[in-house]
This record gives sequence, C-alpha cells and structure tokens, in this order.
Amino acid sequence: MHHLLPLLAAGPLLGATLLVAAGRRLPRVVAESFACAVCAATGVLALVLLLNSSPPLTEWVGGWRPVHGESVGIVVIGDGPSLGMAVLVSLLTLAALVYSWHYFEEPPRGHAGSYPALMLAFQAGMCGFAIAGDLFNMFVFFELMSVVAYALTGFRIDEAKAVQGALTFGVVNSLGAYAMLTGIGLLYARTGELAMSRIGRGLDAYGRPDALVLAAFVLVLTALLVKAAAVPFHLWLPDAHAVAPTPVCMLLSGVMVELGAYGVWRVYGTIFAGPGGIPAADLERALVALGVLTAVVGAVMCWHQRHIKRLLANSTIAHTGLFLAALGVLTPEGDDGAALYILGHAGVKAALFACTGILLDRYGNVDERALHGRGRDLRTVGVLFAIGGLALAGLPPFGTGIGKAVSEEAVGGPLTVLFVLASAVTSGAVLRVAARVFLGLGAPPPKGAAYETTGADEEPETSGRLDRIPGTMIFVPAVLLAGALAVGVAPGFPTVVSRAVAAAGTGRTPVDVHWTSTGVLLGCLSSLLAVGLAAVAVVRPGLLTAPSWALPLRRLQSGHVGDYVAWLLVGATVLGALALPGVLGG
Amino acid sequence: MSRFFRLRVLAFGGAGLAALLVAACFDLPGFGGGSHPYGDRAVRASLARRTANVISSVNFDQRAYDTLGEMSILFAAVLGCVVLLRQNRDEHRDRPEPTEVALPVRRYALLVLPVALVTGLYVIAHGQLSPGGGFQGGVVAATALHLLYLGADYGALERVRPIGVFEVTDSLAACSYLVLGLAGVLAGTAFLANTLLPYGTFNTLSSGGTVPLLNAAIGMEVASAVVVLLARFLDQAVEIEEEKGS
Repeated sequence: MHHLLPLLAAGPLLGATLLVAAGRRLPRVVAESFACAVCAATGVLALVLLLNSSPPLTEWVGGWRPVHGESVGIVVIGDGPSLGMAVLVSLLTLAALVYSWHYFEEPPRGHAGSYPALMLAFQAGMCGFAIAGDLFNMFVFFELMSVVAYALTGFRIDEAKAVQGALTFGVVNSLGAYAMLTGIGLLYARTGELAMSRIGRGLDAYGRPDALVLAAFVLVLTALLVKAAAVPFHLWLPDAHAVAPTPVCMLLSGVMVELGAYGVWRVYGTIFAGPGGIPAADLERALVALGVLTAVVGAVMCWHQRHIKRLLANSTIAHTGLFLAALGVLTPEGDDGAALYILGHAGVKAALFACTGILLDRYGNVDERALHGRGRDLRTVGVLFAIGGLALAGLPPFGTGIGKAVSEEAVGGPLTVLFVLASAVTSGAVLRVAARVFLGLGAPPPKGAAYETTGADEEPETSGRLDRIPGTMIFVPAVLLAGALAVGVAPGFPTVVSRAVAAAGTGRTPVDVHWTSTGVLLGCLSSLLAVGLAAVAVVRPGLLTAPSWALPLRRLQSGHVGDYVAWLLVGATVLGALALPGVLGG
Repeated sequence: MSRFFRLRVLAFGGAGLAALLVAACFDLPGFGGGSHPYGDRAVRASLARRTANVISSVNFDQRAYDTLGEMSILFAAVLGCVVLLRQNRDEHRDRPEPTEVALPVRRYALLVLPVALVTGLYVIAHGQLSPGGGFQGGVVAATALHLLYLGADYGALERVRPIGVFEVTDSLAACSYLVLGLAGVLAGTAFLANTLLPYGTFNTLSSGGTVPLLNAAIGMEVASAVVVLLARFLDQAVEIEEEKGS
C-alpha cells in the first residue's frame, strides 16, 4: 500500500503531460473529461490511502530504505493530516474543474489541454507538498505549486491588472522560496540530513539552539507564512485573488493558503519541537501574535472592501490568522480545531467564490455598489451566497462551526473574543453584500471615495456574458456547502479527525472532540453579530464607514511590489525577534 | 507608501534579517572539515550501483523523486509561458523582414552550430559518467539551435524548429520519466526504484541501471522545453505587434 504514496503527485502529473501531448488534437470536452477523471482517480487513491493510514504510512521513494539507520533517499509520509490534505486538494480541484466546464473562453487557440493540464499540475504540486517528509522535497513541491499558481493567476492576459497581480504574487512567493532554500542550507550544514525527522534528531543531538537554528527557523517559516498569507507577508493575496479566474480562486483560498499553515504545523512538529529546536513558549508567542494580527487586519480590510473578490480574499486572511492562533497554542485541541476549521472553511470559501464567479460572468462586475439590487433574479445563487456567509461565521452545525468551537475551547480566555469577532465581521461583510446585491436592500449607494478598488468594469471569464447560468456552476457551490455541512454533522467525524491528528507522530493522546453547548452558543453569537452588522451596514451605512485609522492599513495594499518586499523583510525580522528570547535564554 | 517610507521599512527589515544571517554564519561548521555525512553515504550508494558520476546518481537514482519535481516545475513553467505569452486581442502578427547578417557573424554561427549541438548531445549521453547530464546538455543543445537565428534569420530558425513537434516532445519526455518511475511500482518495488535493469560495467555508457534512461528523458525534456520557451519570447519580440492606437 505505501508504495502507492508517491502516485498522489505522479498521477496528476502524468495526466498533465498526456493532456499537453494530445491537447492540440483533442476537442475541449474530451480534454476536460480526461482531466476530471485523472483528478477524481487521484482523489480516490488519496481516500483509500487515508482509510489505511493507521498506523501512518511511510515510503522511501526509489526503495532507499534506511540501512543501519541511514538513508540517502527521500521519505514521503502518509498520515492522517497529510492524506487528509491530499483528499481535500483533490476534491477542490475536481470542484474547480467541474465549475469551469462551460466556463472559459477557449484559451490559446488549439491548446484545449493547457488549462486542465495546469490544474492537474497544481493538484500534483499541492499533494506532493502535503505528503512530503523530506524538507528539500517539500521545497520542490512548494515551488511547483507556486509556479503553476502564478501562471493560473495571470491567465486572463488581456487585462493588465491580471498580469500585475500574477507578477506581484510571483515575486513575493519566490522570495519566500529563496528564504526557505537558505534555511534548508543552514539546517543541512548543521545536521547533514534532509529528512525532517532526522534533521530534528540532529538538532537535538547538537544541543541547545543557537543563532543558526533561529535563522533556519525564521527562514523556513517565512516561506510558509508567505504561503499562508500571515500579516505582514499577506499583501500579495488580495491582489492575486482579485484577478485570478474564479476556479483558481477557489483553489488558492480553499486549500493552497491553508497548506502554508499545515506546513508550519508539520515543520515545527518534526524539526523544531525537540530540545535542540525552538522552545514551545517562543513558538507559541510568535504564532499567536502573528495570528491575532492577521485576524484583525484581515477582518478590518474585509469589512471595507466593495470588490467582492477582494472582500473574500481578505476574509481568507482573517481566517488564516485564526488557524495560526489555534495551531499556535500547541495543544492537541488546538490542532484538532484548526484541522476541522480548515476542512469546513475550504468548502464554504470555495462556494462563496463560485457564487461570485456567477455574478462576474452575468454582469461583468463584482462591485458591491454597482450590483445593488441586480442579483434579484438569481434567487438560488443568492440563497447559496447567504448560507455561505452564515457558515463563515461558524453557524452550527456547519464544519466551520465545530472547527471554531473546538479552537475557541483550545485557546480560551481573551482569544475567544478574537475568534467570535473576526468570524462575525468577515461573515457580516458577506451578508451585507448578499443583502445589497441579491435583495436590493438599503439605499442605492452614492459614488465612492477616492482611494478604493471598485469591482466594476471587469471582463466576464466566459465567452460573452451569461444569460442562463449553467447547471454545473450552481451545482458546485451547493455541493461544496453540503460538504462543509457534513463536516459538522457527520456523527463521530470530529473524533476521527482528532485521532488522525494525534496518530501523526506528535505523540499526543487523542482527545474526544464534539459539539459543546458553549461552542454552539458562541457560534450562534457570531452569526447573530454578523447579521446585526450586516443589517446596520445596510440600513445606516454612515455608522460603519471606514474610520480614519483604517485608511493607512488600506494604503498598505498599494500594488507596489517594492512595498510588499519591504514588509516581507520586516515580517522575517519580527518573527526572529519574537522567537529570540528562547535562544538567548539558554 | 512614499519612497522615503518604503526605504525606511526596507532598511529596518533588511538590517534585522542581515544581523540574523551574520550571527548564523558564525555557527556554521568550519570550512574544509572532514565530516561529510551525506557525501560519504551518497558516494557509497553510487558506487554500489556502478554509477561513475555521483551527482547523476543523486539526481536520477537516490533523489530521483526531487528531480521529478524539478522537471515538473520546468514543464509547468513552459506551459504557463505558452498560456501567458499567447497573442491577445489587441495584437496581430507581422512577418519579420529578412535582415542582412554581417558575414563574420554568419560564418561563425554556422561553424559553431553543429559543434555546439554535438557537444550538447554528448553531455546528455555521458551524464552517468562525466560531469553534466540531462539538465546541462539539454540547455546547450537547445541554445545551439538558436545560433541559426544569429547566423541566418528568424525564418530559417522557424524552419528547423517546428514548435508543435517540440511541445509534444517536451510532454512525452516528461511522460516517459513518469512511466519509468511507475514501472518500479508495477514491478512491486517502489516508485522510481532503480532495480529493474542490470547495473552494467562501471564507467561504461550502459552502466547505472535506469540512470541513463532517466537522464535521457530529462535531456529531451529540457532541450524541448528551452526551445519552446525561447520560441515564445522570440514570438513576442519579433512577430507579435501591438495594434496601432491601442
């Protein structure tokens, strides 16, 4: 069974190469059906492996099993979290492929295979990253998923801003990748190993952490936090999401960003958790501080957007902040909460993007104000969008609800307030959009302020504007929301997730995870707050306009690559400062 | 952000990171030490499989799975370029006029072209024996072809370089690398396991098991990928023109 693990990356790649080879002669339907079949087969393989992953699978690619405890090969890991992420990646890629069935204007003439091939390569990159047990291998697949994501983001080359967004994304993420490579170099110099668990053992054998360990920690985490879009590494994300085709947004927000958080969990747990690594208190300080900052900035920015795609992108930032805070407390409950939250959030956020894509293709517009009342005839889409908005607040019994509830219990104290507020504000923003666009509530808005990105004058992604919405474009968000619901209501599912996370070699005892009355109450509280915020925003828009202190925050999102690079360096420095005390304390 | 503020922020972040890196450098192991844990193991493993070039053994045997990822990055990057550098709505194609090439340039280019091409192919073919291999040889072979652009003109290059063929070769080469890997799984060993072919005689062309085959697949992939990549950029520079007034 474990021999099949590398096929999670190799399978979609094989599909991609065949699609490109035959793509010139294939009709579009055949190319897209083939891509869906390959994607689904990979998903089934991941699921079968997941069901057999207790105890966790390990595979030395090429058969280079360790001899006398030493190996020259690459190890891949099939435990609950890694295979769970691979299943999630495959499901979302399949959803995105089905969603784009009738979607794009045919990309480069005579290359029907290009777009589905890129999607398969994206799937391969993300699956390979999820199952990597070797730090350098993790870097390779980090690069693969990044490269494909840049190309997919800039897909609509007729618009200058698409190229600009993709370029910014490319520059910032590549810098993150260089940082990671430098960090790997430092760890290799110290330990002579590349397999993550062996690097960890090597560091422990060396003794107390010193500046080299701290630098390696900062560099590797910088790359992963860039991917996870933690503040201040996050600035690329809204620009990329605003211009990427909708199916790509579903993947970027639904799972690629979350893979960054997953990477932080994996890298810390296997490399830096021992006595030779970074002390737990320092990691906790760093992750919780960055998580809180990210959640606050994301929520504030989300509330003040009128470009719906940017609004959803900023809500993703806010939620990543919550994931990081939940992971940051370094308890089994925190890990379980983050895992469930990520699963629920993936379905909800992808569904919301799918609904926004329908607006874009029907009206050529994703501006909340310009669309005022125009979505009245899209009743089904409106209902889905509103349900997605409520689920974003953690309304029980959605998967986001149980994830939020378990995380809140894990973090406890004042951080609970953060979870309730951040989810309520992002959800309130989505509900506000729903009320204005699909119900036409509130007064038609006046012309906007000077410093704003409107969402007007966008090109639809289909060939021409849609008069009738294809069934697939409705079906996909409905299924995604049903999936998010299933995470919360399937009996025993949270406990299964908890066992899988506990079995992943962190040596923690599994905890019993289920809905609690406090969790249900806090979820309902968030949802009520969200509805209240949306209602106030619609009825009395003057009360909740941007306060003056939020303006500098919005100016950070300048679109200037130089700014983003400068903030990336600041972020790395801050991360180093936050983790410094433990290294000095020795 | 104003330029002044941006520079301040950059200086602050850069200084912090630089301090961290300098501090880390002092903790690095000394230069020229005798301890090379991974190096010793890799050389032993390479010799056990009769691969003379240890680097190739690392690339195509011990860590062939990384090479699969790197090849896929190149493959995806080229595919991305094909998609992004397509002709957009505001552009049209213009046949470039043939231009005069200075005689010494023409003589030199046409003289060197076959030599460079053969060198590239040699570097690929001897990847398991001597320095070089598929990645390096592939780039040399692909750029050799472009001497025709310097020595003759764009039309001549286009005649020897049918893009469609190279695109298909690129993907088939990548595909064959994957199929060679899958053969290991089908044979019941492991993905990309080098246990299917005899290891041959040390330091001969047919040594190293599957190393020469994977190396050849990479060579083909890299050569075609670089040709397609350059073709797309040349296309933009030479043929595709922006519409007047747009």
